[in-house]
Amino acid sequence: MGKEISRRTFLKVAAGAATASGLIPQVRRIALEPFVRPPEEELPGRATWFASTCRQCPAGCGIIVRVINGRARKIEGNPNHPLNHGKLCARGQAGLQVLYNPDRLHNAVRQSGGRGSRIFSPIPWSEALDELTAALQSLRDPQALAVLAGQPSDHLYTILASFLEVVGAPPAVIFDLHTALDGRAECASLSSRWFGEHQLPIYDLAHAQVVFSFGANLLETWMSPVAQSVAYGQMRQSRLGGRGVFVQFEPRLSATGASADEWIPVPPGTEGIIALALGRIIVEENLGRAGKHSDHAHLYRNVSVADAAQACGLPVEELRRLAHLFAETDRPLAIPGGQLTGHTNSKQAMDAVMALNVIMRRLGRHGGVFTPQPVPAERFASPAPTSNLTEILDLVERMRSGDIEIFLIHGANPIYELPAWVGFKEALEEVPLVISFSPFVDETAVQADLILPDHTYLEGWGYQVVSPGADRPIISGQQPVTQPLHDTRSTADILLSLASRLGGAVARALPWEDEAGFLEESSAQLHDNSISTYDARTPAGFWSLWRQHGGWWSKRAIKREPEAVGMPKGAMAVPAAAFQGDKGTYPFHLMPYSSLTLSDGRGANQPWLQEAPDPMTTARWNTWIEINPESARSLAIKDNDMVRVTSAYGSLQAAVVVYPGIRPDTVAIPTGQGHSDYGRFATTRGANVMDLLTPSPAEQGNKFAFCATRVRIEKVGQVKPLARLEDLDGEGRESIR
Amino acid sequence: MAKAVRVSAKEKQDENRRRWGMVIDLDRCTGCQACVVACHAENNVPVVGEQEAARSHSMHWIRIERYWEGEYPNVKARFMPVLCQHCGEAPCEPVCPVFATYHTPEGLNAQVYNRCIGTRYCGSACPYKVRVFNWFRPDFPEPLEQQLNPDVSVRQRGIIEKCSFCVQRIRRVELDADASGREVEDGEVQPACVQSCPPSALIFGDLNDPESEASQLARSRRAFRLLDFLGTDPAVIYLKGGETNV
Repeated sequence: MGKEISRRTFLKVAAGAATASGLIPQVRRIALEPFVRPPEEELPGRATWFASTCRQCPAGCGIIVRVINGRARKIEGNPNHPLNHGKLCARGQAGLQVLYNPDRLHNAVRQSGGRGSRIFSPIPWSEALDELTAALQSLRDPQALAVLAGQPSDHLYTILASFLEVVGAPPAVIFDLHTALDGRAECASLSSRWFGEHQLPIYDLAHAQVVFSFGANLLETWMSPVAQSVAYGQMRQSRLGGRGVFVQFEPRLSATGASADEWIPVPPGTEGIIALALGRIIVEENLGRAGKHSDHAHLYRNVSVADAAQACGLPVEELRRLAHLFAETDRPLAIPGGQLTGHTNSKQAMDAVMALNVIMRRLGRHGGVFTPQPVPAERFASPAPTSNLTEILDLVERMRSGDIEIFLIHGANPIYELPAWVGFKEALEEVPLVISFSPFVDETAVQADLILPDHTYLEGWGYQVVSPGADRPIISGQQPVTQPLHDTRSTADILLSLASRLGGAVARALPWEDEAGFLEESSAQLHDNSISTYDARTPAGFWSLWRQHGGWWSKRAIKREPEAVGMPKGAMAVPAAAFQGDKGTYPFHLMPYSSLTLSDGRGANQPWLQEAPDPMTTARWNTWIEINPESARSLAIKDNDMVRVTSAYGSLQAAVVVYPGIRPDTVAIPTGQGHSDYGRFATTRGANVMDLLTPSPAEQGNKFAFCATRVRIEKVGQVKPLARLEDLDGEGRESIR
Repeated sequence: MAKAVRVSAKEKQDENRRRWGMVIDLDRCTGCQACVVACHAENNVPVVGEQEAARSHSMHWIRIERYWEGEYPNVKARFMPVLCQHCGEAPCEPVCPVFATYHTPEGLNAQVYNRCIGTRYCGSACPYKVRVFNWFRPDFPEPLEQQLNPDVSVRQRGIIEKCSFCVQRIRRVELDADASGREVEDGEVQPACVQSCPPSALIFGDLNDPESEASQLARSRRAFRLLDFLGTDPAVIYLKGGETNV
């Protein structure tokens, strides 16, 4: 029997033999070449984060996007961004569903079956550009070119504005419903009226002790909801000096109102009257620790507290209690919100609210009102303004009378967003060439000849001067976090290539090769600036830091004290708000409100937002009408009953939510649903509240008075169970299933 | 001669053991739904659509409950975010016949998807109603599947799922800390809901670390736990709204 050789022994012997014979394997070092080369920054399983800007609303929050294998996977707030401090709202979180939306256009298309046919045939980009260039060249009068844009990125606005100026066309009309319901144009005009500033004022919510919000849904959609929610959290718990008191004046208890300590259900349109009465009491009784009020007594000369009490249905004693609550603290703050702008007396009402801050000496004080410090570079000095209704109606009139030959539309959906009475759709039919830049086939794009889809915001470049700002000047930078998913093209790039094709003065005014070149040049204006949070030796290095940080901001807080240079000189008065529709036929005030999740309807194609419950009603995926329990009883309607809502202008059907937080004379309907186009998740559900709105009463001029409509309600006899999170026991009380 | 105290490896581990927990400050919560959407995005939670949502088949891992108090005009609405409470004495755990739901050493109530056979006993046992069942195969119409988080498995039809305290984020932070040879710092682990919450109503941390922000807040006199009388020992601590700590 031979001796067995163990494995170990065998290896020992083999290794010894190999060494002895010099047979150590020699391998030439040749790198393996894979068939597909991964990008260099890509580590399998590790995420790369890119900083950019959220474009789901005009606030301009900084975001960071988690990218794995070249695909965006999650959006979070940019923790270094001084506006939102790493936080993000529901709409911001849902941004991936804009990028990956299954109903996006994949390329430029011509509506080959004629407008409204929804029959699209793809066209090459070169052909689209040729056609656009030829159309512009054959334009008889440059005034016949019109552009409507919905809160464009400031870089696009700047390029667009220079383009229109040099070709001699009228400036772009800037409109979208979200900012219209915010009352952005009115708030800007308040700022310029009072402080001689075109930038929106900043309310230092975080440090105020008593906050009186007059119809500002500042924790939902108004202005900069994430920044305001961050401040709200601080106002509530994390500061010395105790918890702030928050009082909300509005006819319907909003989610913001639900977070307030007190909700004062004022009749629609009387918010300004209350503010005046509070001011009168403060001045008359010389309340507060801010010194004598004799300087301001003249403002309230003609105010009768008793009349105001009657107009707003509150006892004089209650008004006095509120005036004492407001004045007898060191840091009160009054905020004129977007809802005020929906009434015919908005200007006077906002003046009355702002005056409360002035008489309490709250301008430029801790927990008071500030104006933003402008960005110290000329390129960023004039961010996109917001047009008022007069400018929109003027555009519609010019379209209707055949003065417009080419109409370009970007980032807005006016056929859906504007009230039907404006007649935008009919006017658009009179325009020979309509070109939409929407990435989606929305209601307005369906009426276009060509759709030249822009990138979505996670694929595109841009920047935004943050307004209303935070405690310092901020530019939020936007950059592609991923390759474009489809064959889309940036609208700014289209404008730049149009300019170079048109040649001459136009090409000279817009010399940039592409939008990234424009952005790099813009960023260089801030290179070597002493207040920058970062700096580099060269402009190129500065530009790369710009992209790394997701924009530019000052390293220190710079707050500016506004000067009330344009404060009303004489006695203030707030007229009673006018409403359309007589009280007998139309017994209810209609309050359309911006949906927390769908905003003005732009969120309706994102299933995460459709499925996220409305915080107050817990309803999802549809339109509802909120009605006071007492009014519901008198009309014999219950939860989920379908009702027809009729105004002097139109009607719609919606399911009922019996809502304890609304005045008996008021009903409320959220915006956002009732799309006829805009993809599979948005269409065939709910109704569009804008169909009900009536023109503002004639003597009031052209105002977007979205709260000035009266309606009546009739039961239609059907029941539509809303997809609510809560279960109802039939008495309006609920339990979670 | 003093007797050397020997600490066994197991005891040492017990000593350092974390208990992950969350503090929810109801005074800060505004009901804004940011946590709800953030959770859908992070955890590949499917969307069920209007019809199924109306039948209570929606699958939010965190929801905002809203409670009305009083009658008009003296009416008040209060918000309360509710997610898996990661109970120390979880009623869902003993009822699972296949040990799909179990307790991890650091206090997480975990759900092992590929053990789950869909009896839904755990969902019935849970007093907080935070366990959701996949009635259908999740549908992500192309290219929506690209939104999926590769760190989290997509659950199939027929199984129960629920909040995991974003265990994938906990593990990632632990691995990163390990790799650089340091301890996990307080506040470093942020579940998606906590990360997003604009008013910072949600705070996450180790309740066994007396220095952590979460455990300090949990000792507030405003603190209470949901359905505490059931003896479930939840790891989610609520802070009562409407009053101040200072």
